[in-house]
Amino acid sequence: MKAWLPLIATTVLSTTAIAADNSDLSYCTVCHGAHGNGNPAIRAPKISAMEPWYIRRQLEAFRDGVRGTHPDDAAGHEMQPVGVRLRDGAAMDAAIEYVSTFKPKAPPITVTGDAARGRELYVTCASCHGSNGEGNQTVGAPALADRTDWYLVTQLRNYKAGLRGSDQRDTNGAQMRALAQTLPDTQAIDDVVTYINTLRARR
Amino acid sequence: MNQGMSRRGFLHMVGAVGGTTAIYQAALGMGLLPAVTHAARPDIAPLTGKRRKKIAILGAGIAGLTAAYELRQKGYDVQIIEASHRAGGRNLTLRGGDLIDECGYPQTCGFDRDPDLYFNAGPARIPGHHSALLGYCKELGVSLAPFINDNRSALVQDDAMFNGRPIRNREYITDTRGFIAELLAKSLKPEQLSAPFTGADYSHLLEYVRQFGELDGRFTYAGSPRAGFARHDYTGPEALKQPLPIAELMRSRFMYVMSFGELDDQSAMMMEPVGGMDRIVAGFMAKVGDCVRLHSQVESVRSTDTGVDVVYRHKGQRTLLQADYCLNSIPMPLLAGIDHNFPPEYADGFTAVQRGKLFKIGLQMKERFWEREGIYGGISWTMQDIVQLWYPAHGIHRQKGVMLGAYTFDDQTGEKFARLTPAQRIELAIQQGEKLHPGYGGYVESAVSIPWHRMNHMLGCSTRWDDSVRTQWFKRLQAPLGSHYLIGDQLSYHSGWQEGAIHSAFHAIADIDRRVREQATQVVAA
Ligand SMILES: Cc1cc2nc3c(=O)[nH]c(=O)nc-3n(C[C@H](O)[C@H](O)[C@H](O)COP(=O)(O)OP(=O)(O)OC[C@H]3O[C@@H](n4cnc5c(N)ncnc54)[C@H](O)[C@@H]3O)c2cc1C
Repeated sequence: MKAWLPLIATTVLSTTAIAADNSDLSYCTVCHGAHGNGNPAIRAPKISAMEPWYIRRQLEAFRDGVRGTHPDDAAGHEMQPVGVRLRDGAAMDAAIEYVSTFKPKAPPITVTGDAARGRELYVTCASCHGSNGEGNQTVGAPALADRTDWYLVTQLRNYKAGLRGSDQRDTNGAQMRALAQTLPDTQAIDDVVTYINTLRARR
Repeated sequence: MNQGMSRRGFLHMVGAVGGTTAIYQAALGMGLLPAVTHAARPDIAPLTGKRRKKIAILGAGIAGLTAAYELRQKGYDVQIIEASHRAGGRNLTLRGGDLIDECGYPQTCGFDRDPDLYFNAGPARIPGHHSALLGYCKELGVSLAPFINDNRSALVQDDAMFNGRPIRNREYITDTRGFIAELLAKSLKPEQLSAPFTGADYSHLLEYVRQFGELDGRFTYAGSPRAGFARHDYTGPEALKQPLPIAELMRSRFMYVMSFGELDDQSAMMMEPVGGMDRIVAGFMAKVGDCVRLHSQVESVRSTDTGVDVVYRHKGQRTLLQADYCLNSIPMPLLAGIDHNFPPEYADGFTAVQRGKLFKIGLQMKERFWEREGIYGGISWTMQDIVQLWYPAHGIHRQKGVMLGAYTFDDQTGEKFARLTPAQRIELAIQQGEKLHPGYGGYVESAVSIPWHRMNHMLGCSTRWDDSVRTQWFKRLQAPLGSHYLIGDQLSYHSGWQEGAIHSAFHAIADIDRRVREQATQVVAA
């Protein structure tokens, strides 16, 4: 015979989190997986351990239709109305706070390109994202190591094809879009992401 | 549907609701009755005292509720963990005040509160051979009423014929059959027939063709009462409708769906629970509701040496559940994002299947205008995005009714609607509905839209198993991993039907029963 046990205190969230736990926030983990560690089966990236300022910028971009409105960006379209739902500042704060409670897990490595070639290509990326992929808030560049690698590939392709970063209001996106053009082809994208995967160990 | 529906497209569409069996049957164009065998409800051995087993059931859909109901009666200690604010899963009936929990666009249903004003947003019909489900309806006291799929007085509309002017279903079916029969009768020669036909058979065949198309004495089709009459004023003589130009009829893609109401799972007599499909859920909940925990999202499922550990989150608090057995109906693509310790030869299957993107719209109409047009229940078909209009068979002659204003099956159209805001979806559906019923929009009082691939905790409908995925994965996923069993219509050969969900539960609990009995004999032997 077994018993139904409440978990020990350390894993129980604080009461503020309870108050903020309206059903809206369950959306986060329905798609992005338990603890926001991503779910490739439904193309949802890892969001745990993402910088709060970067989450905010993306949620605002979705909210304002700066992101997720390009007709070919199907996955972005799914997220976009969720951003609109968080237009109330307190709701957005609660979502960001909720994500910060997640226990991050290293995502599996799924992209296999040429790391040596990727290393050369990454030189351009390093000026903003840091030589260890650690990110740099001052220039608005998020950390890259430890993110879902297939999602980095998708986003680089989206930037290159203008699915992301084409909106006039998206100044950071426009920069990324220009830089993504320097990656000549999809192989180059795979290579650079393969190199980014090697940076995990250094962090 | 508006990009040209191929034959394959139609088969796919049927398959999206009916699973591969439906495809197979439709492909054979069959009306044959297979030798009927039913999955029987397992006879579970009762447990008592110390031998009681803990069962954790994940998801309070039809599969989970069935398992709970059966095991509970036999003394198992059952707990159901359900993420949503409600039980029932895809079995969803909407009434005034209900939350439609769509990711990004939560809506509240604005229908009047009235027993006839509801919308079955998920399952809506039950054929007579779904005996397990019907057995529960009987046992749980769920009253059933006839449901109408096929209504020859309903409409067929296609921009490709008659400049988009709708015709009655009976006209299409009868006039095309009449033409085909006439063509066949005139081209068929006795000398073309070889064994097993004999000379006498030729006349039988010819007579069959005449009956099929209702041809006259000279094997000519000149209209038929089956196609209907131009007037229904019985103070004067009857006048048959004139046959419609065959070339126009042949241009329509309606031919791909004209036999829909003949399918094994769709043909008369179909049934629906009185008051909404969720009366079945209510029936189960009356029996097992006290062991269902709502608002509880499962975060982790781990197989252990002695059973299964489940962690769920309820109001911000995490709880660990340790069970001897776990029955898991969480949709596999969502399960893929949950923490687990399953080996890849099991867990990789979660991501191998695709889920359907069905979409429905329900419209509360201030007047049952269709009844004035002689349409009582049934389905009108259009080759526009909305595909179907349904007229309720319940509440006949009352003032108001809830119609189905769109039911789409293919991914592309589902995605198209999902991308629109709820208001835009309704606008598009009304615009298209106007082609069948001019003035249609004027009757709409309140509307709901349900894109199943965007519904919270669902993100899709029936599981699509293409043949190679089925061969590679089905058996492995149907079998338990330790004490963890996947259930749900996803683990059946009849995904997209509640009967499939129930059979999957039967399969799993029968296996648990077998193991528990074996353990008991071992204990006795020791
Ligand atoms: C548009 C449409 C039309 C249909 N038409 C018919 C019809 O006419 N007739 C018919 O018989 N069938 C029909 N079906 C199919 C029928 O609805 C399903 O076969 C049946 O309801 C599936 O039951 P289930 O228990 O397998 O799964 P579900 O009902 O999907 O149950 C799964 C449950 O798991 C819960 N869950 C998900 N994630 C978690 C988590 N992390 N933690 C805890 N719980 C979780 C969900 O909230 C849900 O309650 C239709 C379905 C749709 C969508």
